[in-house]
Amino acid sequence: MAGFFQKLKGAGSGASKTDSAASTKTKKDEPQPDLTPVEKLLHNAGPLREDGSDKFFGLENFGNTCYCNSIVQALYHSDHFRSNVVNYPPPGPWDESNGTERKKVKATVRPPVQAISNGNAAATSKPRQSFSGGAPLPPIAPPVRPEDKPDSPEYKKKQAMIKGPVLELDQEDAEPYGMEECTFTGLRDIFTALIDSQSRTGVLSPQRFLDIFKRNNEMFRNSMHQDAHEFYGIVLNDVIANVEAHGKRMQEVADSRTEDGPSQSADTALAEFDAGLATRPPGTGWVHDIFEGVLTSETRCLTCETASQRDETFLDLSIDLEEHSSVTACLQSFSAEEMLCERNKFHCDHCGGLQEAEKRMKVKKLPKVLALHLKRFKYTEDYSRLQKLFHRVVYPYHLRLFNTTDDAEDPDRMYELYAVVVHIGGNAYHGHYVAVIKTKDRGWLLFDDEMVEPVDKHFVRNFFGDQPGMACAYVLFYQETTFEKVREELDAEGMDQVKMASQAADLATTSELVNGSSPALLSRLNTQPLQPVDENEKLAALDQIKSAPTSIDVSGPVEPVPPPLSQCEAHPLVAAPPPAPAVMTDADRAATVPPKTKAEIAREKKEQKAREKAEEKARKEAEKEQARIAAKGRQEAQQKLRETLRLEREQLQKALQESKQMAADDDKRQQKRDSAAADTAASSDAGGTDEQHHHNGGFLNRAGRTSKTMTRKSFAFLHIGQQNNNSNHKDEGRNGDRSEASEDKGGSSANGGGGGGKKSKENGHGHHHPPLPPPPLLPSQQQQEEHHLNGTSNGSTTTNHNGNINSNSGGKHSHLMRPWLTPRSDTAPAGAGAVDHHQLRHDKDKDKPPPLKERFSFGLGRKKSSKFLSPS
Amino acid sequence: MFVLPPPRYPQQGYNSLPAGMPVPMIETNNILSNPSGPEYQFLVGEGLYVLKDDLHLATPPPHPSEAPVVNPNPLATTPQPATLGTRLTLLNLDVTPLPPAVYRTTSRANGAQGSIQEHPDESKSSTDVREIDSDASRLNSSDVPLFSSNTPAFGEGNTLLAPVAQKDANKRRKPKNNMSKSNSSFISRVINHDTLNKRLQERPRDGLFAFANINRAFQWLDLSSTLKAEYLTKILFTKAHCLCHDVNKVTKSSTHIDVVMGFSTGEIIWWEPITQRYTRLNKNGIVNSTPVSNIQWIPGSEHLFLAAHMDGTLVVYDKEKEDGIFTPEEEAASRTSGNSTHTSRVNYSAQLHIQKSVHSKNQKTNPVAAWKLSNHRINAFAFSPDSRHLAAVSEDGTLRILDYLKEELLDLHHSYYGGLTCVCWSPDGKYVVTGGQDDLISIWCPSEAEAEARGGAALVARCQGHHSWVTSVAFDPWRCDERSYRFGSVGEDRRLCLWDFSVGMLNRPRAASVRHHGSVSSRPGAGPLQRAETGGTSASGRLRSDSNHSTAVSATVAEEGDAGKGRMLSHPVEPRAATATLPPILSKTVDLDPLCWLGFTPDAILTSCKTGRIRTWTRPSELAQQQMEEKKDA
Repeated sequence: MAGFFQKLKGAGSGASKTDSAASTKTKKDEPQPDLTPVEKLLHNAGPLREDGSDKFFGLENFGNTCYCNSIVQALYHSDHFRSNVVNYPPPGPWDESNGTERKKVKATVRPPVQAISNGNAAATSKPRQSFSGGAPLPPIAPPVRPEDKPDSPEYKKKQAMIKGPVLELDQEDAEPYGMEECTFTGLRDIFTALIDSQSRTGVLSPQRFLDIFKRNNEMFRNSMHQDAHEFYGIVLNDVIANVEAHGKRMQEVADSRTEDGPSQSADTALAEFDAGLATRPPGTGWVHDIFEGVLTSETRCLTCETASQRDETFLDLSIDLEEHSSVTACLQSFSAEEMLCERNKFHCDHCGGLQEAEKRMKVKKLPKVLALHLKRFKYTEDYSRLQKLFHRVVYPYHLRLFNTTDDAEDPDRMYELYAVVVHIGGNAYHGHYVAVIKTKDRGWLLFDDEMVEPVDKHFVRNFFGDQPGMACAYVLFYQETTFEKVREELDAEGMDQVKMASQAADLATTSELVNGSSPALLSRLNTQPLQPVDENEKLAALDQIKSAPTSIDVSGPVEPVPPPLSQCEAHPLVAAPPPAPAVMTDADRAATVPPKTKAEIAREKKEQKAREKAEEKARKEAEKEQARIAAKGRQEAQQKLRETLRLEREQLQKALQESKQMAADDDKRQQKRDSAAADTAASSDAGGTDEQHHHNGGFLNRAGRTSKTMTRKSFAFLHIGQQNNNSNHKDEGRNGDRSEASEDKGGSSANGGGGGGKKSKENGHGHHHPPLPPPPLLPSQQQQEEHHLNGTSNGSTTTNHNGNINSNSGGKHSHLMRPWLTPRSDTAPAGAGAVDHHQLRHDKDKDKPPPLKERFSFGLGRKKSSKFLSPS
Repeated sequence: MFVLPPPRYPQQGYNSLPAGMPVPMIETNNILSNPSGPEYQFLVGEGLYVLKDDLHLATPPPHPSEAPVVNPNPLATTPQPATLGTRLTLLNLDVTPLPPAVYRTTSRANGAQGSIQEHPDESKSSTDVREIDSDASRLNSSDVPLFSSNTPAFGEGNTLLAPVAQKDANKRRKPKNNMSKSNSSFISRVINHDTLNKRLQERPRDGLFAFANINRAFQWLDLSSTLKAEYLTKILFTKAHCLCHDVNKVTKSSTHIDVVMGFSTGEIIWWEPITQRYTRLNKNGIVNSTPVSNIQWIPGSEHLFLAAHMDGTLVVYDKEKEDGIFTPEEEAASRTSGNSTHTSRVNYSAQLHIQKSVHSKNQKTNPVAAWKLSNHRINAFAFSPDSRHLAAVSEDGTLRILDYLKEELLDLHHSYYGGLTCVCWSPDGKYVVTGGQDDLISIWCPSEAEAEARGGAALVARCQGHHSWVTSVAFDPWRCDERSYRFGSVGEDRRLCLWDFSVGMLNRPRAASVRHHGSVSSRPGAGPLQRAETGGTSASGRLRSDSNHSTAVSATVAEEGDAGKGRMLSHPVEPRAATATLPPILSKTVDLDPLCWLGFTPDAILTSCKTGRIRTWTRPSELAQQQMEEKKDA
């Protein structure tokens, strides 16, 4: 329970900003720097990249789902695979009706729900908490709450969840790709969400992906420990199947589509998509291109000496392990000649009959990504169970294959190790998986569920199998590279090591500011072997301080702060844009400078002290400054918000007036509208209390937004019914929605920034509100929403509760929603119970095609979903 | 609040103690055993090698101040004491007689025998074993066209380095501190054998001394003694681990032995075992704070030695000089050119980055010279038998051939893949042999002329036989002659491999199947033609200056090499299809743990492993031969 309160505390004090909340908290609990190592690593990264190679998110663990997390991370960080996944279903009009909605769907994925907000932390951690409580087998059963111990991975994971942003992906979202919901779409959603995220770090909750996956794969449908390699194989095969199925379907559809085209031609966007689809034939072979290799098994009959060859494709190689061997050697023995004799004779076509034969397997086509599965789990008769082999199997950072056929293309292809999936545990039935992954230009990172941490290159070598702790490399991912690239990289990497060495010596110099985005500057944790922590070393470090040019002034360190801040201004959605504390940047920079000069100890000690003082001062100042800026940002945001609300109110009044006029005009329509409004009201009454259970404080924001969106939408809907120029209004309605979304973002990030969208939103108001006939309901709702928004920016829990109710009432309108709007509404985190429910549901509904209903169920809870899922 | 450094992660690389071996909590004794049986012998062409004994060095308990903390989290395990595994430095105080004729192949000329002492400046290498190598190599000196025999001394011409004339030539200068009375925080304890002096006096003069490191202990052993298991002296260090050591062949005598040790903290100790005195160099890493992975006395020098630091720097120290504050001189010079932020972008594939030249005028303090080879850890280096050249291998998979006298990089070769871990020269200096993380041993021909004769490729052959990374290679000079060579290798696979090769035997495979494909190199099989070509495109040679050059170009630029010289320094990787492959004549698992060192003596092969097991495999004797035959007859 303590942990829970801590979280609440963290959330509460984080009223101002998640970041500062975390920092104040950590200050109390432990002397940890405000920034996590990953954030430090990224603090001076340039603009966000389009390809997603700079996104380092943890993945939430739902109880023994680390097998999924580690593999998904490894897949995501394969550049080839990632880019192909997110580009695969070439954009096209899937449903006739929502051709226009394509863009929007993307938007719903983009902020996969939660923006920043303070409540966030509490909200996300809460369900997790309750879940882990109810979990039958927590991955690492903690007897004495390890997560309360700083420096433990549990603690770090908790921190990661608190810090956020937590991207929730538990809603269905296949529509935009025009595909049935499947493993592929689940994976694509994850990738897209990460790429679209405005934050580089955070946690993503792959709930939906897992649900889909488990739906299709029975044996994963429990909370037991699973085999990561098996999972990898199934995922790849699923993806291949999904993509191919879709490709086929698309070809069929493409023809009929051309006929439908004209009817949609009003929508230009759609036309574009159409064109895109027509010109781009569905390429579905990319998974094969990346992972598939060809093995040739050559069998030579010992009787007639006839050799026969058979080719087979592979997605990975499962290699047997020998004690004290290397991956190279294991691969060699994989291709070693094998005698087929006795019971295992070979049927020779030439001799006709079973003959003794020699067989060997060689690689004929080398894949781009070579996945090596080290067969660490071996069935032993003695125990009649899978036993884990703790053989020491070394793996080099680079690899070439010796076991290629003579006619293989590029037999000397160079591979580089880019991911290691590590199994920790004593046998095949228990344990934990983590992934150690080499990122494009940020060195090696350790992905342990929610936690992401930079590690030194040497850390990768801790999993040869004989180290204490039972952590062994289980799946190795090598990717194609070239000699030149490797050389280049090694040159750059070296810099890192030098830097690290100097960092290890706690050297602090400010002399050189090296190109910030250079990969060489990464701050690494020191896992260098051969470098015991030594007091002497620290003394040595002191020695070197003199080399720091005396520019340890207070003003210096503060400078680096603006960039991150401005960044977060630019992206109001950034939850934790590392607001680099000055000292860190200083240290970072310092760390990049190799040790150069030395001096006598005495002097340095003095200087060291002075420096520390200065740093502390700088730090305090920076903190103050930061707080000031943050406060200012908040104020601004609030002001903007107020202004917006004021405008809104004005608009509303105008609208009401207008509506009065209109009401006189059109009695018939009014009646219709009345009934609709009544409908909404009724449903809100019915569902309000129920939903409260599923939404908790943190989701207010989102829920609030949704409610707004939906109200608006529903009105738009009515409005459309009233008027005839549908398309026009549809568009405007959409505008309104989007702007609202952005406004919400602005509000919750406390940084403002949604200004651009506001106007369009107000336009939306103007157009859609007039027809509102039953004024009593709407204004109050609007009022409540205002209240809610204010509440959010203040971050007080009580207001949030109000907002919650409000949002729920808004949720009632869901039956009016269009499919592409749903994702936003059903973002409630599925707690432990929810998972089970889904499980059951899946079993029940297995045979039925996944109806809309089911999709809703994930977000809104069961009762609700069945209730509201009348087809829109 | 002061910002703490990032948490330190487990220090245990592949170098640390295997999991199976519990760290003892109490001080134990070395154990000598004599296992016998068929698994403790192996047969090669010349006969049967038999395990004579197995000396298991005691792993010292951790220092009380660093009691092991049990951290159940394998992702952030407690820092484990780092060690490179046990390595040996062998020393024979007496002039080593030439290998007995029994072991000599017939083609060897018998007339060229001579003692090493006649040419003290030619006794190059670190161990007596290698000393013997060089001795044997002189037999072939007439066949060594590439290097002339009149090698100048290192640093010749710099008067500041001229040895200070000593009043008494016989009296060697000793280190200044008494080790047993030291209260240094660096040294925890020194234990001498009870009868040390007696043992020293009574031992045969030609007996073999051995210095061995294990964990935080360093032992001085007398391998010729019947009390082999009982060390003469054992030093326990507080935290630092001795990773490498060497004995000076020039100054050795029964009254004086110069030992240098390199530590995981970067520090170096010069120790004189007879008088038990020591000097601490690079104290607190003032010159270089990264661990020392290899250390060797410079051939022929009485007080200069070379240490390879983990940041890719080779540093020459003088055992008698004080440490100085070291600012890379060359770097300072280059900074004036305005490229200050780019000193780090030095193109290491094209030149030796001289941080301090041996010809520097500032020779009052250490270091004497410092050369940066790359940013990657140097795993090993070896002086050529004629002591003109230096071969150094690094973790980034490069073999560099240096002219260390002129402080020049001559050649840069690359492993097939992975880092290179060990290196040695053939006794005649014609070949360099490296072992690496590609499980291969590569035979290189460093001489340009020789390589040209072979069609331009410096790579002679790749030797495939280990099942894991190779950790040590050494030539067996008693089985080498001018045509054929024998070398041995040990690896993480616990195997000892023996290899025979002769130049004529190694034909390159038909290059028919050589594909000019990207992965090996953009220019596979660079022949003389291509060299000329690159010589033409000369402008790319500006190395340090061009800061705006994208790194993408650097690799190619690197290969273009020093245009001024008109030849490439960096050689492309040879495709597998174009390289000869050599199988071992023996591949045998000889230990329980990964091996880390291998040495040859006239009558035995010695191996040592990570956990401190030193095994002596005696060469086939005539007696054994007879026994064998008898067995066969029976």
